[in-house]
Amino acid sequence: MPYEHPPSPVAPTATSRLWTAGASGVAVVVMAVLAVMKPELAGWLAAGAAAVILATWLVNRTPPTPVDISDLDGGVVDLGPDAALLGDVFEALDDPLFIISGGEADDIAGRRIALANAAARDLFRLGGTGAGLLVSVIREPRVLEAVDEALFDGVPAAVDYLGGGAQERHWRAMIRPLPARQAHDWGGGALALLALRDETDVRRMEKMRVDFLANASHELRTPLASLSGFIETLKGHAKDDPKARDKFLDIMAVQADRMRRLVADLLSLSRIELNEHIAPLGRVNLARATADVVDAVSVISRERQVTIQADLPHGGAAVIGDRDEIAQVVQNLIDNALKYSSAGGAIEVGIEIDRTLDEAMAARMADGNRLSLATPDREAGQRYAVVTVQDHGPGMAREHLPRLTERFYRVEGQKSGDRQGTGLGLAIVRHIIIRHRGGLSVDSAPGQGAIFAACFPLAPTSEG
Amino acid sequence: MNQHTVKAYGDELNQLTAEVVRMGGLAEAQVADAIESVARRDVALAKAVVERDSRLDALHRDIEKKAIRLIALRQPVASDLRRTLGAMKLASDLERTGDLAKNIAKRALILAEAEPMQPLTRSIERMGRLVSNRLRDVLDAYTASEIERALSVWQTDDEVDEHYNALFRELLTYMMGDARTITACTHLLFMAKNLERIGDHATNIAETVHYEITGEEMLGERPKAVPGPGEEPTPTPHLSASPNAAED
Repeated sequence: MPYEHPPSPVAPTATSRLWTAGASGVAVVVMAVLAVMKPELAGWLAAGAAAVILATWLVNRTPPTPVDISDLDGGVVDLGPDAALLGDVFEALDDPLFIISGGEADDIAGRRIALANAAARDLFRLGGTGAGLLVSVIREPRVLEAVDEALFDGVPAAVDYLGGGAQERHWRAMIRPLPARQAHDWGGGALALLALRDETDVRRMEKMRVDFLANASHELRTPLASLSGFIETLKGHAKDDPKARDKFLDIMAVQADRMRRLVADLLSLSRIELNEHIAPLGRVNLARATADVVDAVSVISRERQVTIQADLPHGGAAVIGDRDEIAQVVQNLIDNALKYSSAGGAIEVGIEIDRTLDEAMAARMADGNRLSLATPDREAGQRYAVVTVQDHGPGMAREHLPRLTERFYRVEGQKSGDRQGTGLGLAIVRHIIIRHRGGLSVDSAPGQGAIFAACFPLAPTSEG
Repeated sequence: MNQHTVKAYGDELNQLTAEVVRMGGLAEAQVADAIESVARRDVALAKAVVERDSRLDALHRDIEKKAIRLIALRQPVASDLRRTLGAMKLASDLERTGDLAKNIAKRALILAEAEPMQPLTRSIERMGRLVSNRLRDVLDAYTASEIERALSVWQTDDEVDEHYNALFRELLTYMMGDARTITACTHLLFMAKNLERIGDHATNIAETVHYEITGEEMLGERPKAVPGPGEEPTPTPHLSASPNAAED
């Protein structure tokens, strides 16, 4: 099949060359006329005319260089010095791109990745040029079908699909047929371009709005009902009873405070969820962050007569993360432990460094139940730092563990009377940890308290 | 089928693996779509899942035929034999997975006619996501021949059981509270059971992957801190039957 070279979109054709020259001539004449009519603007107009003439000359200076298609070697177009540039552009584009060669129509193993750009290799952790079987990278059947259609029927397509992983991502796969190349290293046949676009942000925004409204309206109903009940009472028979009035106002203040915290927690949860797929970049000293939190809660713990024993390594533990968010994880875990500790009890906070994922997520209680609440994607050789928070409260039965990080979940039979929680603490913890590519596990048994262990990937040690 | 092309032995093996992976992708999508059809009460999607199941069956037959042909013509030994047999085993596990997903979709069709049961379908969704992730992990392990990843799936089977038990309790509470929900709850219970079985198939696949790479069976207990509910039914206070009593 002879390869036809399409007209270049950049170089103007002969007719357009005439056209641009004519147009700029007209512009210069108009400016000259204006300069005569308004002498005070003459200087500006002269400069403008010069610019137009210069631009016209620049555009027309380079004659259109037709690409020499007579010396096509094996069907590969010679773009002259620009071939290398186009290659660099392909490599530098932010969206993951694949060029797929077709092989034979009935052979699924024939669909191979001929070329993948840097973004694609990063995303799927491919080595070298990324060449390999297409199915080993993307299994989504609708994408594979669309690729087949593009390769053998020349039909472009776009497919939305959900990419798995600890952080869910919404992808839009765009598949375009490419002109066939006969050279052997292209698999000798049909080619297609597969481009992926990350649409997670848009989808998340949508979902966040819906979830926030649903949660907020549901959870604010109870305190709101009690507030309006008290207002009714204050307007009615409690109007002239100062003692009752003070009591009611106190309760109302507590309810209003609860509503405020609820809204704050919901907002921060939404924010964290929104950023879940963007890994944090900073370095945080986990030991120092933990020490700061322990110091901050010492006032409350003293009030409740609970001692916090912190066993933190001297060298510190540098992890990859966002300092405020990691502090919030530790804070929420300690708050939780405080809530379920009785007066005179103790909470142990510890840090373990340089663990593998399996060690980090291992059982910590001899005869308790262990469950992982968040597990990161496995990365070979990644080491973790673990922060553990242990309380000696009532503990939880096995069947409650899977639902702990659910929003507003409360373990049955545990009164939340004086315990001031919004029911979102652990949900926030889990989402922060997922964002940090870390893990969360819990060990507990009735009557034996609970151990929460959160692990974060250690930052690579800076060498030299 | 192109009979004239004489392919190298290695190519044929690669093709077999690629077909299994594609079948895996299809099974994954079936499970994910089935769960979504439950969560969103999407009748069209549920119907699509039911229809697409025949493709999995066709792929299963095709892979078996190819594997038998390969054994007959090439007489593979050692790791090649394990790869061929592994492909056959995986194909039947994936076919069963597809059947279970189809069953979930069929129940989703019935549920869509009843009143919505938000919190419960959300629990199913959560469990479904966990199971999908395990299926994805184990197929990733298969495509990349990563033994460590397969092992981690094999070791964490109890997580699915935990979710199943939690869901069982939740459903029972609902049914005791309101007898009108019994029909819907029973369907949800079967869905949960199906998901749990899909999780078991993922574990089977992990074992096959391990065998294919090392040539050794995965023997002995799964390294767990506590016995799973399947082996030692934990009596729950107000329940007479354990959710796993009828298992095996």
